[in-house]
Amino acid sequence: MKRLLAAMVVAAAAIPMFAGVAGLPAPGDAGAPAHTRVAARYVEAGVRETGAQNLVTGVLLNYRAYDTFGEVMVIFAALAAVSAVLSRGPPARRPGEARPQVETSPVVAFVIRLTAPFIAIFGVMVILKGHLAPGGGFQGGVILGALLVLLSVVTGRGLERPLLPAPAARWLQAAGPLAFAVVGLFGLACAGTLLGYPAGPGADMLRAAMMLMLELGIGIGGAAIILWLFLQMRGE
Amino acid sequence: MSQLFDLVMLLLLIFMALAVSRSKDLVAAAIIFPGYSLVMCLLWQHRGAPDVALTEAAVGAGVTTILVLLAIGRTCRREK
Amino acid sequence: MGAALQNLDYFAFVILFCIGLHTLVARPNLLKKLLGLNIMETAVFAFIVTSGMVDGGAAPIVDGTVTGPFASPLPQALILTGIVVAVSISALALALIIEIYRQCGTIEADELKGVG
Repeated sequence: MKRLLAAMVVAAAAIPMFAGVAGLPAPGDAGAPAHTRVAARYVEAGVRETGAQNLVTGVLLNYRAYDTFGEVMVIFAALAAVSAVLSRGPPARRPGEARPQVETSPVVAFVIRLTAPFIAIFGVMVILKGHLAPGGGFQGGVILGALLVLLSVVTGRGLERPLLPAPAARWLQAAGPLAFAVVGLFGLACAGTLLGYPAGPGADMLRAAMMLMLELGIGIGGAAIILWLFLQMRGE
Repeated sequence: MSQLFDLVMLLLLIFMALAVSRSKDLVAAAIIFPGYSLVMCLLWQHRGAPDVALTEAAVGAGVTTILVLLAIGRTCRREK
Repeated sequence: MGAALQNLDYFAFVILFCIGLHTLVARPNLLKKLLGLNIMETAVFAFIVTSGMVDGGAAPIVDGTVTGPFASPLPQALILTGIVVAVSISALALALIIEIYRQCGTIEADELKGVG
């Protein structure tokens, strides 16, 4: 009976979707309204209006900056909620009992320690070149966060002595929303709307500086949040 | 040639999704899932979306997998 | 039918969405349901990114070297935000699953119905 119900639910969702999708213009068709009416304007005017050669970063940080503001708030709220849920109960082990250790293989430890500086440089490069090449704030932030997780595993430091010390980590996790708030208020002073960019060709450096600050905030905030999610979910 | 690449990628995606859905061992499902994420990343790179591909590779094959494996470690390993 | 075959990519993504939906609805294990939710989310992201692609189009990076058609940057920006929201959902769901296991001792939905 349950399998029949599940099959009916899936069929009820699938049939309208197939019917709707069959009527769409073919993917890749350059004459579809999505390309000729909507995207063409942003491709033509994007570099001039935002100053970013990577149009996706221009859209994310200039045209749709409010949505990116919401995105950093969402991931920050997720960290707050995970911390709230997982710090409620008693610790998994009685105090005095050592945590069950799985030995990290020396090969893994050596390789991670050897490649960690290169991964860090790559992560920072991806953040900083976000407006010129594929990349951006969040991508570089996740790379740095994954590096911090690897180093935590290799050096065996958990919540009691994390790689980012706890008072500083609070501010680093909030770097995303803080950067957006600071740049947003600055934009309010410059252009009259929250996160408004100053217009005109003379303000190129100012626009680039604002976008760079936003990217750094998203990147550093993302890295700290990912490390903390890992540490919280691993437990003590 | 590029059509063939697309077709192979899409078939791989469907098979991997079926494998994740049907496997009883949760660790196996948690290991196939970043493979699915990687094939999705290659598909997007082929479609001219390098930013999205970079994000999906970092997030899907990195963060989500680590968190799922941690959760499996703290709960049970096999599905009943 | 010939016109419908051009949308093969879209059909594949609808199939992926249905596989994810079936996993979410039919499997009782909470972790499996979460993996099904992730499959659904990535299928939707793939559908939207594919709707912005152009045949032979280049990545939307205007640095003067490419003059051909560009893929549309708008769906890609939308999906970047979507991926971040998806990982936030997964993180919180996993934390809740861990807490449910600590409180109730099981993460199978059938057995959870009987827990008071």
